[in-house]
Amino acid sequence: MIKYIKLATLLVILITFISCDDKIDVDVPEAAPRLVIEASLDWEKGTTGNNQTIKLSTSTPYFETTLNTSVIGATVSVRNNNSNVVYNFTDQNDGNYTIDNFVPVFNNSYTLTVLHEGETYTATETLMAVSPIMNPTQSLEGGFDDEVLDVTIFFDDPADEENFYMIRVKEEGDLLAYLETQSDEFTNGNVQEEFFEEERDDEDETAEYNPGDVVNIKLYGISQRYYNYISLLIEQYDSGGDPFAVTPAEIRGNCINQTNEANYAFGYFRVTEFDQIDYTFQ
Amino acid sequence: MKNNLIWICLLMSTMLFAQEKFSVSGTIKDSKNGETLLGATVYLKGTTNGAVTNEYGFYSITAPKGTYTLVVSFLGYENVTKEITLELDQTVNFEIKEASTSLETVVIEAEESERVSIRKPQMSVSKLNAATIKQMPVVLGEVDVIKSIQMLPGVTNGGEGTAGFNVRGGAADQNLVLLDEAIIYNTSHFFGFFSVFNADAIKDIKLYKGDIPAKFGGRISSVLDVRQKDGNSKNLEVNGGVGLISSRLAVEGPMFNKKGSFLVAGRTSYAHLFMPLIQEIKDDKISFYDLNLKTNYEINENNRIYLSGYFGRDIFDISKFIKNRYGNATANLRWNHVFNEKLFSNLSLIYSKYDYRIVLDFIKLDWVSDIKNFNLKYDLRYYANDKIKLDFGVSGITYDFNPGEVKPSDPSSSINFRKLDQKRAFEAAAYISAEHELTDKLTAQYGVRFSTFSRLGGQELSDYANDLPVVYNDEIGIYEEGEEIGTTNYKKSESIETFSNFEPRLGLSYQLNDKSSVKASYTRSVQYVHLLSNTVSVTPLDVWAPSGRYIKPQKSNQYAVGYYRNFNDKKYSLEVETYYKNVDNRIDYIDGSDLIGTNTIETEILNGEARAYGLEILFRKNKGKFTGWFAYTLSKSEQRALGGNAGGPGINRGNWYNTPFDRTHDISVTGSYDFNDKWKFSANFVYQTGRPVTYPNGQYEYEGLSIASFDQRNANRLPAYHRLDISAIYTPSKNKNRRWQSEWVFGLYNAYARRNAASISFTQDFDSGVNEARRLSIFGSVIPSITYNFKF
Repeated sequence: MIKYIKLATLLVILITFISCDDKIDVDVPEAAPRLVIEASLDWEKGTTGNNQTIKLSTSTPYFETTLNTSVIGATVSVRNNNSNVVYNFTDQNDGNYTIDNFVPVFNNSYTLTVLHEGETYTATETLMAVSPIMNPTQSLEGGFDDEVLDVTIFFDDPADEENFYMIRVKEEGDLLAYLETQSDEFTNGNVQEEFFEEERDDEDETAEYNPGDVVNIKLYGISQRYYNYISLLIEQYDSGGDPFAVTPAEIRGNCINQTNEANYAFGYFRVTEFDQIDYTFQ
Repeated sequence: MKNNLIWICLLMSTMLFAQEKFSVSGTIKDSKNGETLLGATVYLKGTTNGAVTNEYGFYSITAPKGTYTLVVSFLGYENVTKEITLELDQTVNFEIKEASTSLETVVIEAEESERVSIRKPQMSVSKLNAATIKQMPVVLGEVDVIKSIQMLPGVTNGGEGTAGFNVRGGAADQNLVLLDEAIIYNTSHFFGFFSVFNADAIKDIKLYKGDIPAKFGGRISSVLDVRQKDGNSKNLEVNGGVGLISSRLAVEGPMFNKKGSFLVAGRTSYAHLFMPLIQEIKDDKISFYDLNLKTNYEINENNRIYLSGYFGRDIFDISKFIKNRYGNATANLRWNHVFNEKLFSNLSLIYSKYDYRIVLDFIKLDWVSDIKNFNLKYDLRYYANDKIKLDFGVSGITYDFNPGEVKPSDPSSSINFRKLDQKRAFEAAAYISAEHELTDKLTAQYGVRFSTFSRLGGQELSDYANDLPVVYNDEIGIYEEGEEIGTTNYKKSESIETFSNFEPRLGLSYQLNDKSSVKASYTRSVQYVHLLSNTVSVTPLDVWAPSGRYIKPQKSNQYAVGYYRNFNDKKYSLEVETYYKNVDNRIDYIDGSDLIGTNTIETEILNGEARAYGLEILFRKNKGKFTGWFAYTLSKSEQRALGGNAGGPGINRGNWYNTPFDRTHDISVTGSYDFNDKWKFSANFVYQTGRPVTYPNGQYEYEGLSIASFDQRNANRLPAYHRLDISAIYTPSKNKNRRWQSEWVFGLYNAYARRNAASISFTQDFDSGVNEARRLSIFGSVIPSITYNFKF
């Protein structure tokens, strides 16, 4: 909710200005590479959740384009702290570590252990449930612009607890996805609604949603700590340093280096339930 | 040896010949429009006895019995003299004439008080009158008080389109901005484009960058004291102008049988009138307006009342999907009372309010926040004798903070009604300060302000485990919200927390000779209210918060020394000042802090500290066809916040880092050349080191996106900011000998089309996935303007 207030204010300010925006060359500092752990154990509603993948890579200088950053040869395992079952992941030698017998249990706590170059990284997270996505609705009137198509999804928010959500939207054929977070701070217990719309581009008619476009929408139930993490990550990704943004900062996930604290890893160990739909615009 | 003799003689003379003394006092006004004149010098010829008129044009001089010639001098005005016989206390009022009355030569010479005042101990102060401000080139022809003070050394801002200003490395919320004594919370229209002050309604402004007199308090960086005109008490006068952005009209004239006067000034933008004509933006409305009012009535020679008010608004309606309104409103009722020749007093009752509202139709949300305060103050000035003048008074301010109210804008909205806690506070202060001529050469200004601040009850506050609203998570190395263990409900009659502080102020001036002096000052000041802003620029959305259980008052110590010199019969003047200040309890925001809509601000902040130091040089040419100044500032402004009780190293690992207001070099040059009766040219040039920013030091892939990584805060800088503006003022020759006076102002802002970076953002191209740096420039080209001004 609040992000819209910020967004609206920024928009108003930019509309006011006779501003211009261009691409420039900038010298940026270069930090030493760091391990990146993308350990997202996401359990899709209606599936067993047995197949899971964890990705390991390293960070690079900001403008580096040759991204061969896969980390191989690490040891990756996840332990269910309630049942003490340990799941060992298999190194696929391409940065992916997979398993096909993972058993997700709601509200159970899991601990990730990664052994890489003699250093041990650990992280702990609890599996959060999510409500199903209900009746997606297409319209012109919703959203920012009344002349482009938008789609709205609805889902129930449980009234007796604080809930946090992440939504991932990706149009078929697009390279990148949009991420959003949502908390029930202002809307606790109500039916939640979230709309998606693409900005119009006068030079590119395909930029906005058109009839026939297919979008994949995923709704995740996430922990409060992950909500804080991913919200900040999204905010910094979207704003990239505009004058109305918060001073960007290093974003610390939950992966702790037990051997050498200063050499922490980027990324996060999350355990979530999600629901997804593919929506085709009419 | 010789000096000692003089000393002894002086002492003897004052001790042995303690004669009877009398006072002469009165008011100095402009003979043409009856405006009281601030800063005029009144003295007894052949003596060192003299005074400078105060904000209400009042002066008082005390001298031994005798016959004197009383001289009134005010640059730009004709000198007036009067023989007086001082054998009893008496009142002598003056009306003085402008040296030249035509419009085209408003100010050829800088006014006395804009130049270096060699003798007075007051330092770090700049005064500009409306005429000086009006002749500076400005963006889109909108005369701008806030932009004009940025041409002074030690004053900067975040660049185009950012609100507020920064004094000596301080934040925008550390400036006390007063319009006829009323606090102005937001100084700009259009998010920093134009200032809220309509130059047609303003008499003059004074900016204290340090050495803040004891009568001001509540902010630690500076005081910007803006005074509205009283209104012409002789004739009806109309001033106006038509510009590209706004039009202005000010009407002033006598009232109550010339016992009083009034001023009504309005200004409004009018682009919105044409917007319906353009199909794409026909539903949009973007505008601002403001209204200034002032009236005064002279009950008798010793009593005068003033009523002044201001109301301003910004309006943004964008195709039904955003409705945004915000603005200040103030009112002030004042009573000037002269008890006798030596004692002048002013009682003021002041109201001010700032409110912000945004309605977002697409999520059916209606958001309102505001801050209100009442201020009652009583200020007195006692002209004790020819050596000592005393200022003393009391003040009380009540605050009402409404940090935010969220409601659904229609019944189908999924928004729940929610109101953040209202906060109330009371600030009281008493002060006494003396301006004391210790010897012929040494003058001191010393005083103390005692202030107290009570955060009042009538709300709940969260309690935290170990009383820590923020805790350091050792494992992950981040600051997080503390664990809430309950709440305490404070009754309305209760005080949640009370703070009291002594704020000593000291200034010394030593006159080296009749052309030069050195001055030194120390100021301690305390600030009890804080603007919560974790963004680089202040936005109208930012809310104010009072000190209390978790937020401590900011305390600042500032030390400054300076050298002042006039050259060539005051044709040139030089001011060199250096300062050091430190600030305790400067709020700093933890990484990822979220301030909007947060009731528990304490979970997002740590109490930090700040320090700033610098050297300022101001060289002015005050007389002749060419006038203007060159200002250079070399400075540093840093902050840090250690973990303290919350644990951990602190924000930015506990290291000092640049504040967003740090500018290593700042050069401002402004000049104005009187070519002939018809043409006058002005130019500004500004060069500033780029604003500190944080650039990414790496990237990594997460969720298929390229995520930038960052390290130390504000360790990088935007490219340097520089800009040239020029303007020409054309006065038609037919102006002579007629009532209707007019002028055309042509301007070019950003004359060489520099693309100054307002920001550089680092983004991933959506189609190619490649990272890039993008520069946002508010003005990418030259901005021409034309304005027509008139007066009759």
